[in-house]
Amino acid sequence: MRSLNFVHRVSLDFSGTMFPHAICLGDADNDSLNELIVGDTSGKLLVYKNDDSKPWITRTCVGMLTCVAVGDVCNKGKNLVVAVGAEGWFHLFDLTAANASKADSSSQHEFLSPDDQRPFFTQHIPANTKVILISDIDGDGRCELVVGYTDRVVRAFRWEEPSDSSEGGSGQLVLLKKWLLEGQVDSLSVNPGPEGLPELMVSQPGCGYAILLCTWTQQDSTDSEEDAPATPGSEGPSRDVVLHLTTGRIHNKNVSTHLIGSISKGSKEESSKCGLFALCTLDGTLKLMDSSEQLLWSVQVDHQLFALQKLDVTGDGREEVVACAWDGQTYIIDHNRTVVRFQFDENVNAFCAGQYTCKEGKNSPCLVYVSFNQKIYIYWKVELERMESTNLLRVLEEKPEFKSHLKALGVDAEDSAAVRELVANVLYQDAQT
Amino acid sequence: MLGGSYSFVEDSFSRFPSQSNIYGLCEAGEQQLLAATLKGKVVCFRYQELQQKVRPVAKEVQFTYIPVDAEIVSIDAFNKSSPKRGLVVGITFIKDSGDKATPFLNIYCDYEPGSEFNLESIAQSCLNLELQFTPFQLYHTEVQCPDGGSDTVFLLSGHDQRIHLYKENVSLHQFEEQPVERLFPELQQLPSNVLWLDMLSVAGGRRLSAFGCQNGCVGLALVNQNGPEVLQSWRVQFDSPISTVLLFRLSCRTIEPSGERSEEIEGYNLLITSTVEMAVVYRDVQNHGLSWSTCLSGSDQSDTVLCALVIDLDFNGQKEVLLGTYGQELLCYKFQPSGRERDGEFQLQWRQSFKSPLLSIIYLDLTGDGLRELAVLTLRGLHILQHSLTCTADLVLNRLAQKVLSLTASSELSKTEETNFPAQIQDGTTQTP
Repeated sequence: MRSLNFVHRVSLDFSGTMFPHAICLGDADNDSLNELIVGDTSGKLLVYKNDDSKPWITRTCVGMLTCVAVGDVCNKGKNLVVAVGAEGWFHLFDLTAANASKADSSSQHEFLSPDDQRPFFTQHIPANTKVILISDIDGDGRCELVVGYTDRVVRAFRWEEPSDSSEGGSGQLVLLKKWLLEGQVDSLSVNPGPEGLPELMVSQPGCGYAILLCTWTQQDSTDSEEDAPATPGSEGPSRDVVLHLTTGRIHNKNVSTHLIGSISKGSKEESSKCGLFALCTLDGTLKLMDSSEQLLWSVQVDHQLFALQKLDVTGDGREEVVACAWDGQTYIIDHNRTVVRFQFDENVNAFCAGQYTCKEGKNSPCLVYVSFNQKIYIYWKVELERMESTNLLRVLEEKPEFKSHLKALGVDAEDSAAVRELVANVLYQDAQT
Repeated sequence: MLGGSYSFVEDSFSRFPSQSNIYGLCEAGEQQLLAATLKGKVVCFRYQELQQKVRPVAKEVQFTYIPVDAEIVSIDAFNKSSPKRGLVVGITFIKDSGDKATPFLNIYCDYEPGSEFNLESIAQSCLNLELQFTPFQLYHTEVQCPDGGSDTVFLLSGHDQRIHLYKENVSLHQFEEQPVERLFPELQQLPSNVLWLDMLSVAGGRRLSAFGCQNGCVGLALVNQNGPEVLQSWRVQFDSPISTVLLFRLSCRTIEPSGERSEEIEGYNLLITSTVEMAVVYRDVQNHGLSWSTCLSGSDQSDTVLCALVIDLDFNGQKEVLLGTYGQELLCYKFQPSGRERDGEFQLQWRQSFKSPLLSIIYLDLTGDGLRELAVLTLRGLHILQHSLTCTADLVLNRLAQKVLSLTASSELSKTEETNFPAQIQDGTTQTP
């Protein structure tokens, strides 16, 4: 297994404690460059920008933040920052203005009035939140907010504004549906189904997953179902929850499982409608599957995987699967099951991977590790030329002019010793010795 | 690449079970490295072609007669001088069984025809020599024997202020210690323990030999190999222990671009790195002795320089100086000639950070494609840095195209004397010396 060492990193100050889902990368201020958003257990929301070790913006929320996200949750064509606390407080921040005001003030510190620091919207939703997702889950082109709970419940909300109100601020989250699952939900994701329509997937223990059906697209009334108490063992959960258990070496049916969907396949022509998704378990199973339930590969590692992300490290448009273990061992695996390992040298509190603008004023693939030592480390130069080791001759053989040059120079392309000598001669002028 | 920036891509990193030291890395035959770690383990690194894929493989080699409580000090290997064949590996270690630490030198080589280069079988045939001194660097060099042939010998420096010579006794098929002064008159009556030794054969059957001592003394001698007799010798005193001495030439070959007579930077130089002071290059030592020096400014800024290498990194025929430091940095200096009197200075081109202190660096072709890789031994393991293959492939294609052009041009010129034709295959921009 190929193993690498990334060295270009910046360290950010982070003094709090946090939940593993209270971190994300996204364009919080709508400047097309990504920021890092972190929420801690004391309710502080921190937004980091570039390689500055101090937070660019700090906001205070109510309760312990369990999950943060960036997205166009209100469907206004503008990214907002969402922070949800364990107690059920939902906060919405608009940081677009912060960017402008920051640019104006020459001072490094914020002198905003307390009003500006407040979220522009708060709402109380059911408590015990664990994980959130902002995405279009029903294929209507508008984003929904999906919240996973610690009590095996998933709820979907939609931002709705009364049609008569002209200004924003009067809208609120409306519950679309509640699903009850059999096992803990560790991740939420959306993946194109066999017909190309988005499917909401949640992970289930034991390397399983469930597809949650958006029944409101078929029936007009959603409220009637929600008000009825969910009776255990009733047909309710089975009708709108399609559970899939993957086969293979699962030692523990209850092992914590993570999932990520919509893994980009790169070039348009080869992409069928089926979306790719990956699963990982705490006991070290990694799987890549497509939505027709076909297994592309499975990898077994001896590290406890607790976070799963996708990231295009080679820049070819195909996203690699990135899995991180508690002890810092990180696996980057492409669609052909080529593995690159990286060992982060500390235990990891939380991990995420994605595009972030660190040093060079543009988004680049980054790995983000939250340590237990009050630091967040961002590895900002993790781009690889290729996933596999190769040599110069293989690269040259792909170029047609190389063969013609060899022919003109009278070197047999099959004679690797001669080709090697020629290359060495061309590169190193003392190669004769 | 020509802009002088860092152009390496890490291809693999092998973590070692225990730390190594500055004497812990050596080339073993073609396309293979041996790295020794403190706790008695020797790792062989190479690239393997398996199922059409190139894979880095780091495998432990079980060298016999190294006890479990041994701590390896140094390792070295060489191919026997022709007409003899075979790989010889030397390992020094200290066996600490509690009451008294005993140092040993193990020399491994196989005389069985067919397995002279087979590392597995070499590792099983051992000559075990008990030493009366604590070993330091194990070095090998080729000497002219009085009978006219040449032979490669081990030189081992020790804490007894002496250097010991181990030479193969052909009739007995084994190595034995021989008095050093018979072949190396310059290595007797040393001022202190030698930490690093370097030799280079120069024109006219002569040899330059340099050593750096624990007390800061550096000795340099010009020796006539026939005799042998010391023609000239120099000493210089530094304030701190010497970590490396390295004899080198700056240019691979004199280049005359577009007929313009370029500056001739010839002669042999001596690079000296010490543990506290800046690295120094003594220029043209054959003519100037140790009188014409240039400092490598800034080389004392990232802790002690532990290893050095002079290689042509950018394929322009001009070598660069690489320094590896305990401060986890790899520094690259390039010689910038300034107008008069062949003067000039070494300027820092780039610096690259690593995750742990650098102990040793070697530049060799591991992948078997004519392009060499940079192997960097750090406290934690072995990094293999490959030149960016896309850039290098373009460069090779460019130069091949030039070569084809000059070939067709010259073949048209000399159509009449087609018999000489193959002799004229050479790079268009360079001239054979």
